[in-house]
Amino acid sequence: MQADNKLIKDLTPEIENTSFKWYITFFTFLGFFALGIYGLIQQIDKGHIVTGMRDNVVWGFYIVNFIFFMGLSYSGALISGVLHLFHTGWRKPVIRMAELITIISLIIGPFFIFFCIGRLDRLYFLFIHPRIQSPITWDVIAIMTDLVGCFIYLYLSFIEDFAILRDYKGLKVPPWKKKLYKVLSLGFTGTEKELKILANARTIMSVMIIAIAIIVYSVLAWIFGVTLQPGWHSTIFGPYFVIAAVFSGTGLLIILMWIFRKVYHLEEYITKRHFVNVGVLLTVIAAFYGYFTFSDYLTKWYGSIKMDSILIDKLFSDYYSLFIFANYIGIILPCIIIAFPRFRTIPNITVAAVIALIALWVNRYIIVIPTLETPFLPIQDTRPDWINYSPTWIEWSLTLAGVSVFVMLFMLVSKIAPIISISEMQEQDKNEILK
Amino acid sequence: MKEPEENESEMSSRRNFLKKVGIGVGAVSIAGVAGTSVISGAKSKSGEKIKLLSPDGTLVEVDKDDIKPAKEIVEELKSEARKGLPDRKFIMVIDLAKCKNARKCVDACQEGHLLPKDHEWIKLYLLQDDINTAKYWFPRPCFHCDKPMCVSVCPVGATYKRQDGIVLIDNQRCIGCKFCMTGCPYSARVFNWNDPEVIVPAGHVYNPEDNIPAVEGTVGKCLFCADNLRKNILPRCVTACPMGVIYFGDLLEDTITNSTETVRFSKIMLDRAGYRYREELGTLPSVYYLPPTERMFPVESGLEGTDESIKGRYKNAGPR
Amino acid sequence: MKKNISFTILLISSLFLIASDLYSQDKALISPYIQLQYFKNTDDNRVLKTTLTYSLNRMELPLAGMEIAFYSDGENNDLLGTGITDDKGAVKFELADDLKIATSNDGMWTFNTVFKGNDTIEAASTEIAVKDVTLVVTYTEPDSIKTITVKSYSLIAGKEVPAAGEPVIIYLPRMFSLLQIGEITLDDNGTGSLEFPGDLPGDKEGNINVITRFEENANFGNVEKQKLLKWGLPTDYSLPTTHRALWTKTAPKWMIYTLSVLLTGVWGHYLFAIISLIRIRINAKRKEEEDNYGK
Repeated sequence: MQADNKLIKDLTPEIENTSFKWYITFFTFLGFFALGIYGLIQQIDKGHIVTGMRDNVVWGFYIVNFIFFMGLSYSGALISGVLHLFHTGWRKPVIRMAELITIISLIIGPFFIFFCIGRLDRLYFLFIHPRIQSPITWDVIAIMTDLVGCFIYLYLSFIEDFAILRDYKGLKVPPWKKKLYKVLSLGFTGTEKELKILANARTIMSVMIIAIAIIVYSVLAWIFGVTLQPGWHSTIFGPYFVIAAVFSGTGLLIILMWIFRKVYHLEEYITKRHFVNVGVLLTVIAAFYGYFTFSDYLTKWYGSIKMDSILIDKLFSDYYSLFIFANYIGIILPCIIIAFPRFRTIPNITVAAVIALIALWVNRYIIVIPTLETPFLPIQDTRPDWINYSPTWIEWSLTLAGVSVFVMLFMLVSKIAPIISISEMQEQDKNEILK
Repeated sequence: MKEPEENESEMSSRRNFLKKVGIGVGAVSIAGVAGTSVISGAKSKSGEKIKLLSPDGTLVEVDKDDIKPAKEIVEELKSEARKGLPDRKFIMVIDLAKCKNARKCVDACQEGHLLPKDHEWIKLYLLQDDINTAKYWFPRPCFHCDKPMCVSVCPVGATYKRQDGIVLIDNQRCIGCKFCMTGCPYSARVFNWNDPEVIVPAGHVYNPEDNIPAVEGTVGKCLFCADNLRKNILPRCVTACPMGVIYFGDLLEDTITNSTETVRFSKIMLDRAGYRYREELGTLPSVYYLPPTERMFPVESGLEGTDESIKGRYKNAGPR
Repeated sequence: MKKNISFTILLISSLFLIASDLYSQDKALISPYIQLQYFKNTDDNRVLKTTLTYSLNRMELPLAGMEIAFYSDGENNDLLGTGITDDKGAVKFELADDLKIATSNDGMWTFNTVFKGNDTIEAASTEIAVKDVTLVVTYTEPDSIKTITVKSYSLIAGKEVPAAGEPVIIYLPRMFSLLQIGEITLDDNGTGSLEFPGDLPGDKEGNINVITRFEENANFGNVEKQKLLKWGLPTDYSLPTTHRALWTKTAPKWMIYTLSVLLTGVWGHYLFAIISLIRIRINAKRKEEEDNYGK
């Protein structure tokens, strides 16, 4: 398959050579990852007592990170699926990134579950003694289904690019990479028949991905929603989590767009128009997210159910700043930045995205932990770490390790495949020329 | 009433029980044979004898046919534990009028199951529903609900409800995901966050009915002393309570006892207007409470003479 | 000087006394508590039971493996037999049916039990005096009201002496203990009756075991009559809940169906996508062969 040489050169900056900057960044994050591993070894050795989790707050940072990363994953799937289906023109530079977010987060998310499990040596029991009445079993099935589906979907979108790279004579890469492209491209040559088969498969998979992403993340929400705990036993949790996930994923997408644009000098391909469009998407979803959050808390606050009132009191006293940040600032600020043309600059939009992303993590935190701190029977204990949850350095370091793995995997992918889909850009180029 | 001899007799009756099920000859440990008589069985003996060392240091000769590997015994115990006692439905009634935080129930439970000091399978709360309502001491064992949320959410079936109503935990199946702990609305479960460092008596095989020893990374909770029930003995907290607060019995027999007093369950529920904690949650607990009316002593007497580490718990006790 | 010496002597001797007192306390014998009970069972077997315990830190602990002797005259002359206490400190001795024991004027038998003592435990003995009593229990249902009628008397010098004014307790054995149904105080004729409640749960057919007892009676000891009757309500032991629920081993049917449908649908589409990939590969291979052939 042929493509414009300039296109290839621009979109694959790290495939041929690895810059010094790449090595520095990669090894810095590898260092953080190593710190996380050290923490994990401490945890396996001394038991979970080294974390901040105790008998009431049995789920802490790990579950929050799990939900957060799974949320990023499903939102990536949703965005790329929706954009693909609706053939939106401006999607091309960003759709590959969205797909990569999906896969990489999906790989990282389950590891946080593993950190939370008390007996890792018995993990395989989930497969030999499953109980399908349990929401965790639903989640295991769902994540596996999603993993396979996302891989297939991603691979389908990569085939054309692998074919282009295989055929590009000027590519100075080691022979193993050339062989890799040859094998992975399946001998694709871009004939009409092949293109048709591919397009068909991609359409079907994008529909599947959207459906799966929604179902799978709802299943995750129901792990909380079906319990009786005050704050969790809410009917809105399914749709609420899905919207919140898309919100965080969109924010991450903007951040990645900014990073890659800056680092790989892709100003030509990722323009302000893209930022504005994804930014508008962020605003719309922020509005939905705000609506769901408000709806949930309004009904809890207005009704006089004692356990709900106790929870709301706790949120507005102990967790006041976190609550305001997640559910007020996190929604209003991005909306203002993007709604007013005066503020709509690329750096501003990226800042809005960063706020949105962090706000979503905090939102997960204040969904999980305050409920566990206000059980039906009051916590009557003298030890402060059994009354309130305070995460330890191990939990912080493993969170950082998760983020590091995310960055590192993205960097590794950039060494093998283009971050922006060459084939799609080429198509767009052609269309532009024709116009 | 703590009687060290009772523990010993428990152990010898456990040995007797083991005799009925089988002797364990594990790869790592050699389980003991108490005395020289060995399990019966319809099997004809091969006549081949094997020398074994019993826990008290005596050498005994045992017929080879009567030896079963420890793993098999544990599997048998586990499957019996899943079935439960036939034709029974166990209930507990706790008389809040008599409880004064003596904590003998907690002590007996911890002793009987070799629990570390910070694991309280039966826990005492000081509750006050509203500023105008009475304070009362609230012993809370596991409620062994008829619609147990904890069982519903367990992904591997480590916790289960059996035919006699008791909900048990198989510590060899539990993966420690703690979903059951978030599922239980009554905070009845505890987690082994680190190695509980339990000294297990020699020859003891794992049995979900007593959950000895506690396993790191798994969940524990009140078991209604299922191991005692198999021998028609009351749970440890019932006999330990000096005030006779906890009554236990079989709902199908309509009789409960606190080891000194035996009453008809339907009668005491009618006379004393018994109820279940948070009935509206719909989990259908097997533990009923009798309201704290006509106290013979003030609630505060439960705080006198307690250790500071216990008293400090109830500093903020009051309406929420 | 003299004062100092005498004071020192006084001090040393008092210390010695205290020390010897402590020392002798170490060697003090355990003072046991011995209890003798008389039982007459439902089939008229008579049993003597001795319990040997001692007190330590306000707890009563059993003394096991001790030899106890039973006598029937209060003088330790007429030995009935011996036994060894079990791990609960109790030992039973069954009296023969044709036992000829002298009775006192008012028809009382005297039994005593002796523990000889050993190096560490003091000797102990106790005695009881019981009158042999006949307990007749009849179970009738006049007007469909279940009634227990009790008649009790002792044979003294061939004459029937009613057990007037004595309390008789009716029990029902349950899993852990005995449930008291009621108490009858016998009238001057040694008779009494009790209305038996009709709503007690029995076994599957409604059988219950009714126990009528003199319990720790000062004159009669423990006398009991048991009978298995169909006076209880039949209990339905069938399990109320279905075997398909959220908390059972098997899941509700709708869950299984929904899961199967969803999974088949999704993985079916995956299969389609993989087949597409395979088709692309086959296509490309064929084209390659064509090209090569063409060359």
